[in-house]
Amino acid sequence: MEIIVALKVVLDDQDIALASDGSLDTSRAHQVASLYDLNALEAAVQLAALEEGSRVTVLTVGGPEIDDSKLRKNILARGADELIMLLDEAARDWGSFETARALAAMIAKRGTWDLVVCGDGSADRFAQQVDVQLAAALDTLVFDAVVAWEWAGAQDGRLSLKRKLEDCEQTLACTLPLVVSVMPDIATPRICGMKEILAAGKKPVSVLTAAELALDLADIEKSGGATRFELIETRAPARQKRAARMYEAASSEGLRVFCAEAAALIG
Amino acid sequence: MDFSYTDEQELLIESIDEFVRRSMPDDLITRMYAEQSVPDELTRAYLEAGFALIGLPEEYGGVPCDRVTLGILTERFAHASGCLTPFLNNVLAVNDMIDFGNEEQIRLCLETYLEEGKPLFSLGFSEPGAGSDNASMSTVTRRQADGSFLLNGQKTWVTAGESLPNVLVAAKDEDPSPDNRSMSMWLVPRTTAGLSTSSLHKIGAEIMPFCEMFFDDVVLTEDMRVGVAGEGFKNLMKNYEMERCLIIAQCLGIAQAAMDDAAAYTGERETFGKPIISYQLIQQKLTDMEIALLNTRNLLYRTLWMIDTGQPVRIESALLKRYGAQACTQVASEALQIYGGLGFTTETRLGRIWKDCRGMEIAGGTNEIMVHIAGRQLARRYARK
Ligand SMILES: Cc1cc2nc3c(=O)[nH]c(=O)nc-3n(C[C@H](O)[C@H](O)[C@H](O)COP(=O)(O)OP(=O)(O)OC[C@H]3O[C@@H](n4cnc5c(N)ncnc54)[C@H](O)[C@@H]3O)c2cc1C
Repeated sequence: MEIIVALKVVLDDQDIALASDGSLDTSRAHQVASLYDLNALEAAVQLAALEEGSRVTVLTVGGPEIDDSKLRKNILARGADELIMLLDEAARDWGSFETARALAAMIAKRGTWDLVVCGDGSADRFAQQVDVQLAAALDTLVFDAVVAWEWAGAQDGRLSLKRKLEDCEQTLACTLPLVVSVMPDIATPRICGMKEILAAGKKPVSVLTAAELALDLADIEKSGGATRFELIETRAPARQKRAARMYEAASSEGLRVFCAEAAALIG
Repeated sequence: MDFSYTDEQELLIESIDEFVRRSMPDDLITRMYAEQSVPDELTRAYLEAGFALIGLPEEYGGVPCDRVTLGILTERFAHASGCLTPFLNNVLAVNDMIDFGNEEQIRLCLETYLEEGKPLFSLGFSEPGAGSDNASMSTVTRRQADGSFLLNGQKTWVTAGESLPNVLVAAKDEDPSPDNRSMSMWLVPRTTAGLSTSSLHKIGAEIMPFCEMFFDDVVLTEDMRVGVAGEGFKNLMKNYEMERCLIIAQCLGIAQAAMDDAAAYTGERETFGKPIISYQLIQQKLTDMEIALLNTRNLLYRTLWMIDTGQPVRIESALLKRYGAQACTQVASEALQIYGGLGFTTETRLGRIWKDCRGMEIAGGTNEIMVHIAGRQLARRYARK
């Protein structure tokens, strides 16, 4: 099975500081693999282990600054066989539409594939769009909210999926190729062992640019909307002062006041 | 000079932190001290995460690495967990066997280790009458007419002696007198007739209890001998240098954990209407603690780097052991002081860390013996040419 994992590199939100004016200070933030994408990668690697000869290839798209030798090794120490990065100044601020187009072009260039696995949503924007738009670009089916899967073998050829929907769990079986996005529950990211860490540096990594992929940037960006809007600023909402009110609860009268006011608040 | 970690070392550190976060919650650590043992599941998890294999040769299923990285693993594991665990002793014991054992003994030892994450044996070297002065031990083996040997004597402070299935005993060959330097090492199953143990009660490092061991006409056969007959003393001394480095790496890790706690507390605790960090006496404590940690760390990694680059470290490992054990105990003691009365309770981990470090001023060679090792060598090193 040829499995592709679409993994986003984001700024580590633990390193993002909030300035007093509400603006975000990202100057100290490191580039890391988006949290839930690691669950997707783990699930993909576990699935690949069920079918001999399977390969897991990680694709990522972003500005040149996301390339970092430690990050590469961190991804490849988690069982992926190969990493392909599209690094381009143009890609830095891409939204879901542009990213999905670029991923589709990378997948087409790479060759045959059976399954694309996306995380539940990226740690920064959490738009939950790339899976759907990628499937559209690849002209195939997509299922989201996958919490478990089973592979009965190449003979059957169908991947059965369990999806967790708002008020039910759905199980279905689907032939490949297919795009899925998985919920974090599907697998816990592994703790990388030293052996895997040491081996990661020797695994293949390729870096592409938009030009090498022959992406028509003008066309993509026009449709994607990035040319139609300008991001003016991003600010944290003003902090609400929390009102703390104390109630005298030693008497039943005090309790009655508390209950009445609480009931009024809840409506 | 490059003090930065490699990508691989940074990733290893992240893995250790994650392992400790998932597998070693505070209540488990408290329970390990109370029950004086490490649950098998934790030992197995440590093995499965691959940490137990780091530093073992590849042909034995290990992941070889340089000594600096082994030091980082040891320090970070102690730092992240805030406690002393037997995992380091385990890998050292296995390495001892790889160095001195025959093929069969190595195979047996690795089989157990790769399966359970525990070494096959504890180390029975010290005696009530011979600790620092190992050479004057009086435990002895005497050859019998049928080719077997009788082992008689007593060992003490044998770490994990009552939980591991064998003990590696050092004993004089034939004659127990101090000037007999002919000594051998023997791998003796704990259930052998004539071998008995008696628990001792430690004041610190309780996760790894030690015991006394008595040998009363224990019958040994030649195949139980480990290493070359008569050369046990040489073997005994050979791996001490690395052991000293890793003991200090552990102390450094837990002392750093004490620093983390205490430094944060200085901003939280208020007296006379101000956080205690506003007092210069407290600032001085933090400053001196940081200096002690940095000095220990610099000495540690420089010594490990010297081993990696093939330089002798007889003096450096002794300097490190002497300085580091005391410095880390002092850091833990000051951290406890910063916590005041709370520090002297079991509500914080500082008392525990302090006691754990204190033991390391004795184990693996005392502070004083480190002077004994380094002092005369230093005079020789600095002698006028
Ligand atoms: C936590 C812990 C774990 C241990 N685990 C093991 C184990 O697994 N296996 C094992 O065999 N042993 C173990 N030991 C024993 C340890 O190796 C000995 O305690 C240590 O070598 C000191 O020996 P001793 O206790 O007999 O002290 P002694 O040698 O009697 O020393 C008494 C005092 O005199 C000082 N002194 C001795 N000689 C000199 C000298 N020449 N000059 C100046 N001062 C001197 C010492 O520094 C010390 O302060 C352990 C000890 C501890 C604390």
